[in-house]
This record gives sequence, structure tokens and C-alpha cells, in this order.
Amino acid sequence: MPNRWISQLLFLGAGLAFTLLLGASFGNTGWWLAGALALYLANTLRNLYILDNVLRRGKPIPPETRGLWAEIFAGIEKLKSKSRARKRRYHDLLREVRESTGALHDAGIILNSESEIQWFNPAATRLVGLDPATDIGQRIGNLLRHPDFMSYLENPQGEAIMIPSPKDDRGQLAVQIIPYGKDQRLAIIRDVTREVLLQRTRSDFVANASHELRSPLTVIGGYLDALAEDEDLSESWQAPISEMERQAERMTRILRDLIELTRLESAARDAPHEFVDVIKMLKLIEGEFIGKKGVPTIRVHLETDVALLGSEPELHSIFYNLVHNAVRFTPSGGEVECWWKLRDEGVVFSVRDTGIGISEGMIPRITERFFRVDPGRSRDSGGTGLGLAIVKHALQRHEATLSIESQIDEGSVFTCEFPKERVAARRRAVHVAI
Amino acid sequence: MEVEALGQHISRSFNEDLERVRNSVLNMGGMVEEQLDRALKALKDADSELGLQVAADDVKINQMEVSIDEECSRILATRAPHAGDLRLIIATIKTITDLERIGDEAEKIGALAARLATVERPSTNYRELRNLARHVKLMVQGALDAFARLDVQQALEVVKADEEVDQEYEAIYRQSITFMMEDPRTIKRVMDLTWSARALERIGDHAKNICEYVIFMAHGKDIRHSGLDNIEAEVAQAVETGDR
Repeated sequence: MPNRWISQLLFLGAGLAFTLLLGASFGNTGWWLAGALALYLANTLRNLYILDNVLRRGKPIPPETRGLWAEIFAGIEKLKSKSRARKRRYHDLLREVRESTGALHDAGIILNSESEIQWFNPAATRLVGLDPATDIGQRIGNLLRHPDFMSYLENPQGEAIMIPSPKDDRGQLAVQIIPYGKDQRLAIIRDVTREVLLQRTRSDFVANASHELRSPLTVIGGYLDALAEDEDLSESWQAPISEMERQAERMTRILRDLIELTRLESAARDAPHEFVDVIKMLKLIEGEFIGKKGVPTIRVHLETDVALLGSEPELHSIFYNLVHNAVRFTPSGGEVECWWKLRDEGVVFSVRDTGIGISEGMIPRITERFFRVDPGRSRDSGGTGLGLAIVKHALQRHEATLSIESQIDEGSVFTCEFPKERVAARRRAVHVAI
Repeated sequence: MEVEALGQHISRSFNEDLERVRNSVLNMGGMVEEQLDRALKALKDADSELGLQVAADDVKINQMEVSIDEECSRILATRAPHAGDLRLIIATIKTITDLERIGDEAEKIGALAARLATVERPSTNYRELRNLARHVKLMVQGALDAFARLDVQQALEVVKADEEVDQEYEAIYRQSITFMMEDPRTIKRVMDLTWSARALERIGDHAKNICEYVIFMAHGKDIRHSGLDNIEAEVAQAVETGDR
């Protein structure tokens, strides 16, 4: 037992003994005892009153308290100063956090599970016009009402989305929602007006340049054609001329692909839902490669006869590019197999080849424009370097996905999966009885 | 303010019903705003495909109006709301009618844009119309923001902005008449332009109506058909008496 308790007990014992002594000498022991206890009670009550004042009203502790009570008051004082220090620390920390989030250029908005705004930084006021005085507790969808944002809010998956800025007519904002903690979400909004503008300038440039280059190239190609057929052409010029012709043709192809790719990239909207007879298309593509010299055997397995809803030229370029690619990278002894089959999730087109394959590290990069696994080789085989980029963009416009599996020297499998919404039953010829 | 007062019913599902109605009005508002935006973009970029798509997409807004209307009827029938809740429901029913009309006008602009895209364009690329469009867009945005925040001040600003929009429309109208007199070959094009301006002016009126419902919802005052000065005085009085 600590000292102060012993001394307190001793003091009480001594008091009691003294009272009993008084009672013994003057009689009326009971009254003496009652008086002494009343005094003790009064003192305790007084101290409790002080304690109450200290705890509830924050009054200073009077200096005249003594004994055990003084110790208790001192303890309370210590606790109080400790919590004051902690509070100050938190306060400082909070201020720092606030200052740093306030200095951010991107808007940060904290949302609860109901998408109600809990907190936001000053950039949110600047970028989307939230008002700190009125908008805490407001559902964010009520103020940022763009339908794309609303659907993203309900299902925040994948990359950031772009919406037009509500504050600036030409502004573009990128929004990303990140879940964290317990049912909390953080919406980060970035002003991407400049990036969007740059991107547009770039693709405009590519498109314009390609268009401008096309006509001089046609002229050159025409003359080369005429020259190649000229019978007076000296022997030594025949090889160079035909090589020039080949290269001019390749350039034309590259330009055509570039124009196609820019068109796909800049078309923000989804591909139309037009009926496309895939079976017929695949048979046509098959026919183009079968029987050609130096081409591997091609087999097309049509396991279903469903058709797709999409854009005919884009679907053609998807299938054609994939088959063409497989053929190009497979030696003439190998084989290329294609499947068209129905699955639960939708419909799948896949191409398997027994070609040179792609190393695993390269796979994520092969849909980049002008990326070549083996630069020397693929240029000889007549590729433009844009085929898979076109495939990727065209697939995106059909909400479809591309997956690639490959083993070096054994071959690759390219698989496109189209969602159910794009699948259509095949139209059959209807015979009307007259 | 009322936004908080909404959260004070014994029945939790009632609160949720009211909150849901409010949210879906604003969802619908977002769709209308996007439609208007796309219609104006089609007009600016001479994108006939986009214009026709806007015209076709109006169906979605009409469906939304019907479903919110049904929800309001259901709440009226099953919950018998009163005071602020009743005002919210009434204002909602009226607001969605105006939103639907804005959608119709956007549809009209989309169709006109598709037509204008096929003919020759003036060198200004319809600058005066784009100016009017920007003002009207801000009005619609302001009206919906005021609805979301129950912000009477903002609602009043939108009501005031309508006068300016009316004047701008008037100016375009007069200008169009002179164009047509100068060169009768442009009549068809200029008529389409005037119709677009007319649609925008109507959208401004609908946005103004929505703001009047917002003031009704917040203060229980019907300020339709009274002059702007009277409105301001009434609102100031309502704020003073603490009738919020």
C-alpha cells in the first residue's frame, strides 16, 4: 500500500481514538463519534465539490488541499496536461495534413458508403465547385451529375473516367474512385484539359500527315508501276525498281493502317450494333489465304453459327489481322487453326498458330503501335507494325477483350471474347409460300 | 436546413424513399444536362451523327420521368406526406415535367443540328447562338445545383439570368430577320438557326421554373407570375421570419 494511504488510515485511526478518548472522559460517546464523522463527511463533500468544479468547469485546483485529496488532484492535473499535449500534437498533425491536402492541385473528396461527401480539399471547390458551407453530407452524384460519372460511382472499376468539367466549358476532368478503410471511398479528380488537348493535337497531326502523304505516294507508285512494265528497262534497273515498288506499297499500307488506327482511337462512341455475318466473313478470310504459296495450312472450325452486332469493317480488320499475323509468323510447314465458338459469357474467336511464339515479357507490349518482337524479321514478312494495335482498339469499341498465350518456338493463341450483348442469332433465309 | 430536416422521420424507409426521389430527380437532371451538352456539341462541330443520336436518346429521359412520377404517386398514396415532405414531392413532380421538356428541346436542337450540319455554315460558326447556349447551360446547371442544395440564393440568380437570355434570344431573332431580308437563299438555314435559339430560350424558361419550385420547396412560397422585385422581397421576408 502506498505511503499516503497508510498515513491517511493512521490519521483516521488517530482521530477515532481521540474521539473515543473524549467520549470516555466527558460521556456521550455516541454524540462525539457522530460529530467527528460529520466533520469528516463535510471535508470529503467539500473536496468532492472542488473535484466536480475541476472536472466539469475546468476551474483551477485550489492550493490549500492537503493529504490524499491533494495527491488525487495532482494526478488529475497530470492527466489533464498530458491530454492537452496530445491534443496539441493531434491538432498540429491535422493542420499539417490539411495544409498539405490544401496545397494539392488534384481534388480529393472523401465519400461514405452512401456516396455522401464527408470531406474535401480546396481544390475540389476550384475544380468542381463544391461549397464547404453547404455540401458536406450531400450525395456527390447530386452535384456531379454526368451520367458516366454516375455509373462509375455505382461500379468504380477499372481506369479513371473522363467527364466534362462543370465549371469550365472546355475543361476535362479525370475521376478515379479508390475504396479504403471501412466503406470509405476517396474520389480523386484531376484536371486533364491540357492532356486531352495534346492527345487530340497528336492524333490530328498523325491523321493529317497520313492523308497528305498518301497522294504523293500514289503518284510515285503509279510511275513505278509503269516503269516496271516498261520493256525497254535495262536489266540492272529491274531489281531496284521492283524493290521500290514493294516499298511504296508497304508505305501505302502503313498509311492506311495509321489512318484506320487514328479513326478508331478518336471515335469515343461504341461501335454500332449492326448485324454482321461472321461465318461468311471467316470463310472469305480463309479463302484469301488457302492455296497461297509459302503459307501454312489453315483450318477454320465453325462450332457455332451465331453472328455479331458490330461494325462490319472493324470486325473484318480484327479477324483479318489476327489470321494474317498468325500466317506471317508460322513457317509454311506449320498450321494455323481458328475457332468460332459459343460460351456462357459470350462468343469467342481464337487463332492458334505453330509459329515462332512470343516471349512472356513481350506479350503486354505487342499491341503497342510499331512494336516489333524481332525487328528484322517482321519487316520482311510485310507487316505494318500496326495490325495488333488496330485489333486492340477495334475490340475495345466492341466491349471485347483480347488475351494472348504464347510459348517460344511452339506457337501462340490469340483469343477475342465478345460479350453476350454483341451476339446475334444467325439470320436464316425465310421462304414464303405463295 | 431542409436537407437535414429530411433525415428526421421515425420511419427510416420513408426517409430513404424521399432521399431516393430527390436523387433520381438529380440523376435525371444529369442526363438532361448531358443531352443538352451533346446537342450543342453536335451543333458546334456540325456532327450530324451525334445530333441524330441525341434525338434518339430522348426516350431514356422520358422513361425516367415516368418512373419518378410513379414513385411520387406511390409515396403520396402510401405515406401521406405533409409540410416540407409534401412540398418536396410536389416540387419533384413539377421539376421532372420541366426536365422532360428540356430534354425535348435538346432533342429538337439535336435534330436541327443534324440538318444544319449538311448545309454551308457562316464564318462565325453561329457564335451568337453558342453564346446563348453557354448561358442557358449555366442556367440549367444552376437550377439543378439549387435543387440539390436547396439554395434559394442561387435559385434567384438563375431566375434573374432568364431575363438576359430572353434579351439574347430577341437579338438573335432580329438579326435573323435582317439576314433573311438580305439574302433570301439563306432563309431555310436561318430559320433552323432561329428554331434552335427558340429551343434554347425555352430551356431557359424551364430552368427558371425549376428554380421557382426550389424556392417553393424551401420556403413554401409560390412566387410564380410575380415580378422579380416582389420575389426578392418575399424571399427576404421568408428568411427573416425564420420560415425555413
